[in-house]
Amino acid sequence: MHFTRFSIAAAALIALAACAPPGQQAESGATATGPIKIANVNAQSGQLSSLGQWEHKGVKLAIEEANKAGGVDGRQIQLDLFDSQGDPTVGTNVARKIAAEGYIAMLGTAESAVTLAMAPILKDAKIPNITSGQSPKLADLGSPFLFLNAPTSVTFDETLAKYLVDDKGMKKIALISNNGAYGSGEHDAFLNSLKTRNITPSADEVVTPDQKDFNANLAKIREQDPEVLFIGAEEVQSGLIAKQARELGIKAVFAGGAPVGTDVYATTAGLKNAEGTIVSSPYLSNEATPEIKAFAEKYKAAYNEDARMHVAKAYDGASILIEALKQTDGEGGQKLADAIRGVKRAGLLGTYNYDANGVGIHETKIGLVKDGKVVPEAAS
Amino acid sequence: MQVFLQTLIGGVTFGAVYALVAMGFSIVYRTMGLVNFAHGSVVMIGAYAASTFYMASKLPFAVAVVVAIAVTALIGLVIERFLRPLENKDFTLMLIGTIGFGAVLEAGAVLIWGATGHAVPSPVATGPIDVAGIRIPTYSLLVIAVAAAATGLLALFLQRTKRGAAMQAVAMDHQAATAVGIHVGRSNAMAFAIGAGLAALAGSLIGPMLYVNPTMGGTLGIKGFAAAMLGGFGSMPGAIVGGLAFGLLDSFAAGNFQEYSELVTFLVFAVIVMIRPTGIFGEATVNRA
Repeated sequence: MHFTRFSIAAAALIALAACAPPGQQAESGATATGPIKIANVNAQSGQLSSLGQWEHKGVKLAIEEANKAGGVDGRQIQLDLFDSQGDPTVGTNVARKIAAEGYIAMLGTAESAVTLAMAPILKDAKIPNITSGQSPKLADLGSPFLFLNAPTSVTFDETLAKYLVDDKGMKKIALISNNGAYGSGEHDAFLNSLKTRNITPSADEVVTPDQKDFNANLAKIREQDPEVLFIGAEEVQSGLIAKQARELGIKAVFAGGAPVGTDVYATTAGLKNAEGTIVSSPYLSNEATPEIKAFAEKYKAAYNEDARMHVAKAYDGASILIEALKQTDGEGGQKLADAIRGVKRAGLLGTYNYDANGVGIHETKIGLVKDGKVVPEAAS
Repeated sequence: MQVFLQTLIGGVTFGAVYALVAMGFSIVYRTMGLVNFAHGSVVMIGAYAASTFYMASKLPFAVAVVVAIAVTALIGLVIERFLRPLENKDFTLMLIGTIGFGAVLEAGAVLIWGATGHAVPSPVATGPIDVAGIRIPTYSLLVIAVAAAATGLLALFLQRTKRGAAMQAVAMDHQAATAVGIHVGRSNAMAFAIGAGLAALAGSLIGPMLYVNPTMGGTLGIKGFAAAMLGGFGSMPGAIVGGLAFGLLDSFAAGNFQEYSELVTFLVFAVIVMIRPTGIFGEATVNRA
């Protein structure tokens, strides 16, 4: 009797187990005609969420356009958003999830630290990733599946150093940067650019990404009375540094990469304090070219807010991915990575031409903050 | 010398805010023996409420702060009401309950205000005061003055009013307090409301110094908690001294140890707590576990 019960149970188990493979086959069969699954990973909560939300809107705009135009090889692109919270640990969990759930490519994140943490998992899973991070460490990884949709800090800071030192003859330069992935990348890149010009910074203060009170660091900088204060930190922290620096009576002009060109920086610092900040960025204004202008109008119509660099950057990245997907007929893996590397595109941030390290753009421009908005230096 | 004094000013300003956060932790711990883990999130709600009333409703900053205190005091009452059935029954569940409330408040803030946060313009228009090259932001003075005034008022309430005395009695021995006719539940509710009000005050004051966003409660909560520990958990003077000490420690570590400042701050904190586990003003506090 027991034996019969056991054999019925065993038979049932075998039958159940046997059901699984056909199910899986049906799924993989469906992917050839069903939607192409793309993951968009960005901070949707936390201090860096403004970046994440801009990035998501930029990506969404590009994907929706492609879907409206018929998709890729007749298939629609399914874009799913994952919240990385700007946290590398959350990021690695998301990376495993998207690898397990059959996503063939990933767009994002905007944070270098998160992208760095996710890169090895995505590389193993052969999932191409187009990121908005710009830490030189991303390029140093040399992962064949990692692509940047903007220059690295090296380019940003070389342009900045060239402008400050070579063009304007400023030599008394102080640095304040955080030791996060983005901040330390900025610090090293800018310091290198100064070194090649035989300039030693008058102060070099390093803070932590969570720090809010910079009185001690800024008081030391004030003693040196620099002409320029280079800020290597994310939007909010850059704004807090600028605000406290002006309160302390530091008169130096502020300079930095893309974060100091955002309105989050300007409003956190206070518009008056942010005035005149020098920005190195591949995207300076929504009016720079007719293409950018058209894009900005399209974005405004879709989201009722002004476009900005992070939106454009994400839009460029998504457009490159779509172009590559068309070439591979929606296929992922190594083939898709090779296709992305081959894309030559005149994008909003510049001309994309990927090198072996996955860096697509190799130059930035100089802009100045006026009334909280960045204007190209030449026009100021 | 200038660097030293400037660092001191930054440390005292942030320290004053940490002290307010620490006092909120302490008053709840005093009366209930409970660490309110939702406290950091209440600080954040306070910062959001004050900045929203100040910026969107164009209320004067002082009025906005008062409204924010009222809003969070109400939240404090709600939290206490939910936890009351567990009082004297399941302490661990009460602790977890406060953690849960923290998560709910954070999610609520994202729902109401969105995840991105906003910068708050300083309510004081005048520039910093220059004393022999030391710049003292006028807003810092305001923060220190308001924190001091709030501390004074709280001390007066606890020592000079009947309700305050009742709260003290509950803190010392809640069974004896019940025996003489003090309503323990009401006393606890008041502790929660005052704690939440202090959190709102801290949040509203720090808003213009930082960037208000749903996760800001995390760091402030941890620093306020550490400050309360440093001073002696449950002790009101301890919360003030602990807050200021933590602010100064943080500030000087930032100047001298650069990227290792956070490590140094918490290392020093750990050493002090190891030497003196009850904190600077350590006293026997309630333990109903």
